Amino acid sequence: MKNIATKLVLVTGLCLNLGFTMISTASAETKVGLLLPYTGTYASLGNAITEGFELAIEEAGRTEEFTIVIEDTEMKPPVGLAKARKLVYQDEVDVIAGVVSSGVLGAMRDFIHQSQVPLIVANAGNNLATGENCSPYIVRVSFSNGQINRPMGTWLSENGVKTIYTLAPDYAAGHQMIDAFTEAFTAAGGEVIGSEFTPFGQTKDFGPYLTNAQASGADGIFVFYAGGEAINFVKQYGSFNIKTPLYGSGFLTSPLYVEAEGDAAIGVRASLHYIPTLDTAENKAFIKAFQAKYNTMPSEYAVQGYDAALALMAAVDNGGVDRATLASQLPHVSYVGPRGPLEIDPATNNIVQNIYIYDTVMENGALTQKIIDTVPAVRDDVAGCQM
Amino acid sequence: MFYQTKLRSITLIAALIFLACYASFGSYFAREIVVEIIILAILAISLDLCAGFGGMVSLCHGAMMGVAAYGFAIMSAKLGWPLFPSALIGLFAAVVFSGLVGWVTSRTNGIFFIMATLAFGQMAYTFFFKSRWLGGDDGFGGISRFDLNMIGLETNDSLVFTYIGLVILLLAYGLTAIVMRSGFGRTLSGIHVNEDRMKALGINTAAHRAKAMAFSGFIAGLAGIIAAQHTLYISPELLIWTTSGEALIVVILGGLGTLVGPIIGAILLVLMKHEISNYTDYWHAFIGLVLIFTVLAGGRGVFGQIEYWFNKLTQKHQSTTKPHGDDHA
Amino acid sequence: MDLSFWILQFLNAMQYSMLLFLLSIGLTVIFGLLHFVNLAHASLYMMGAYIGISVAAMTGSFWAAFFLAPMFVTLIGAVLYFTLIDRMRTAGPMNQVLVTFGLIFVFLDLVRMGWGDIALGLDGPASLSGTTRLLGVDYPAYRLFIIALGLGVMATMWLVLARTQIGAMIRASVENTNMAAALGINVSKLFFLVFCFGCALAGLAGVAAAPILSATTTMGITILIPTLIVVVIGGLGSLEGAIVGSVIIGFMETFGAVMIPSFSAVLTYALLAVVLIWRPQGLIPARG
Repeated sequence: MKNIATKLVLVTGLCLNLGFTMISTASAETKVGLLLPYTGTYASLGNAITEGFELAIEEAGRTEEFTIVIEDTEMKPPVGLAKARKLVYQDEVDVIAGVVSSGVLGAMRDFIHQSQVPLIVANAGNNLATGENCSPYIVRVSFSNGQINRPMGTWLSENGVKTIYTLAPDYAAGHQMIDAFTEAFTAAGGEVIGSEFTPFGQTKDFGPYLTNAQASGADGIFVFYAGGEAINFVKQYGSFNIKTPLYGSGFLTSPLYVEAEGDAAIGVRASLHYIPTLDTAENKAFIKAFQAKYNTMPSEYAVQGYDAALALMAAVDNGGVDRATLASQLPHVSYVGPRGPLEIDPATNNIVQNIYIYDTVMENGALTQKIIDTVPAVRDDVAGCQM
Repeated sequence: MFYQTKLRSITLIAALIFLACYASFGSYFAREIVVEIIILAILAISLDLCAGFGGMVSLCHGAMMGVAAYGFAIMSAKLGWPLFPSALIGLFAAVVFSGLVGWVTSRTNGIFFIMATLAFGQMAYTFFFKSRWLGGDDGFGGISRFDLNMIGLETNDSLVFTYIGLVILLLAYGLTAIVMRSGFGRTLSGIHVNEDRMKALGINTAAHRAKAMAFSGFIAGLAGIIAAQHTLYISPELLIWTTSGEALIVVILGGLGTLVGPIIGAILLVLMKHEISNYTDYWHAFIGLVLIFTVLAGGRGVFGQIEYWFNKLTQKHQSTTKPHGDDHA
Repeated sequence: MDLSFWILQFLNAMQYSMLLFLLSIGLTVIFGLLHFVNLAHASLYMMGAYIGISVAAMTGSFWAAFFLAPMFVTLIGAVLYFTLIDRMRTAGPMNQVLVTFGLIFVFLDLVRMGWGDIALGLDGPASLSGTTRLLGVDYPAYRLFIIALGLGVMATMWLVLARTQIGAMIRASVENTNMAAALGINVSKLFFLVFCFGCALAGLAGVAAAPILSATTTMGITILIPTLIVVVIGGLGSLEGAIVGSVIIGFMETFGAVMIPSFSAVLTYALLAVVLIWRPQGLIPARG
């Protein structure tokens, strides 16, 4: 009798134990889908964002709590959408993070909205995603194309630049960046006396355009270029010895590849939402951790990934246990991160952040960034967003 | 010359059954993969009819598919027209586009033909890429699938959509097979084998090739409509020459001039790509090596090689030579 | 727009034309002699740039990279020749296109594996940095170097083809391979030599372009189309055709970008279509 009783008690105890463990792991575990390009021209951005994301989870000691499923968008909208569907229906993730290309984001938007899965955008800057095409399920922690450029437009005009010539690649993002800059610059009293869009991805030789820009006689040249095009543009700007000062969206001299631009990048003034030389405790700690783990300086892409993870963890801590609760909590996230103070604007679900005006300078034989000015808490207008 | 041999019919049915089962019993993602295969297979069939039977290797088939997709998307999503007429207009646009390209390039051959089609494909791509009102490179969404609720089919269900895709694949194959069997198809093969002789017979070979391209455009257009309805979104990438390049790889991998080969090739390429990308980001190199190996091994492709062996085996048991499928020059 | 603006744009056009020439001459000569369409030529260009960057990083000298990179690329070309190209010489244009297309993919991932995905830069030599005063404008010295390099290669090739015995052998083989072989010319050795030379030119173009255009994994694919267009417009297999083609395309793209930017992207393709329809053998074909 005693033996059976003991056995019963033991077995019941075991079951209860198992039951508790199962319940606790089930509720503590959040499944995240990382949807980024790992092949193609933007593979380096996908990798940088992943590095930032994984660092944040590891630093917080919560790697057990989050299961990450990685999928490659190949930067193609149909592929990105197919992978998104896989993450939602097959892997049953609680939240998706990532998306570098605005094309992929555009293709995914309706699906995310209809299947009611929260998406943390860690790069794609298309204004419409938090404007006309906004959704309560899409939260952006990176930037919007307008947000980076409006402050530069206003700042330049207020600091003595009267006329500008703009250049950008001829695709949707290029137009949005320049439109935002032009609007703010003209509103503050400046004049854009010339504007050209270069064939996207095909232009390797900016000589003709640089020549045009200089010939216009403008006080400054304002451009948006990123990646390989940025490297080419800045180097060629240097080689032509153009006297007109060069201004840009910070992607022009991004820490990710400014080294390849060499001396030509010195003196270029740009605006960006993150600079590695930001002198705050949070940023210093972030850089130390990033360098220790990856042996390289972080870029704004790495920070976007890092902040995506921080935002997610904050939402989980505030009661986000499934898709619906995560979606309701994410827009209320606010903290001080490596970029400075951050919060999400519930009217658009876009991030509200500082924009830094900086110069690229040479220090101790390496190129680095020197902050000239800070434009605090830049917020996008509602611009047609109805949630 | 095209013959619907038993081997081809069996392979076709086996392939369709395989795809249907994979979609029905596989994971959710399997359906996405099957639709991807269907689109690529239809595009490859349209290319095979030009390249395998007409000797016209084209790099603008992706553009033909894209033109149909955009035509459909513009009429239905932008202008609000009903879906079936929009699809017809999309197909018509593809036919006109490919007919024009075919007509303009009809006097060129070999590498020049390839280059000319590349040029026109890229022109079409640039047109859509630069159109701000179509969203430019970001494209636009708001596309809907056909409403087949009156016959009890819910097209928004991915399994139903996949089955419909398989039906369209069979339709595309069937149509192409019938046309290739007809006088039109035989003339096309004739032009490929010996153009001068065909001209001596009084045939306007340039016009014929243009018509073949136009028909090819129609089939490619079917792929385009499916692609647009699958993603419910459209962007200019369908028209980049690398899409056409992928179709060409599929045709070679499967078997040029067999019409069934492209289907096999599409299945192999897509499955290979997904399997390998689970292990490494460097799957492009693998596909490149497979392509090189396929060409070096005789260029017949997987199905083409199977057919070759099969015919050699069966020929031993026959006294008269039976016409078989690998007699393309 | 004053005169100095036009001079600057003229020099820009010349420099781009010379770069196209360096690439297209290799491709066209290989086709003219070996009847081989080598799409992987663009990949060899890419290898030239990346290898050049590595050599420069190791030796600290641009000139070391400038001379060594083409040699390494020639080596790669020689390996390709013996393993693949020689076998495919008689295989017809479609199979050649396919095989070299496959090679493009292979090289793409090889470069990604070896050098990563981020774009890399190469600094030009200190002696050529800065601008030079020419024709009343300040123009980057390095770009003038490229113009000089292109013109130099052009002159050398013309001299070799027109005035030397080996040039005569090449011209004979291009015009009629069988007859040339019947006359005792070692045609297969000639093929190999010419192929290696073509590869060397591709590698040279890559390392020369790297300081201006930087090295990316897609640089080969991006330059492939303009190069093919130059070769087809100029006429497959002819030196004069490559010169004329690269100058036409170079000037059209440069001035097109400056004067009618919205249409410039289509201009090249439109020209290609026109030439293919009106005169498919090219403007100055190698054989009459």
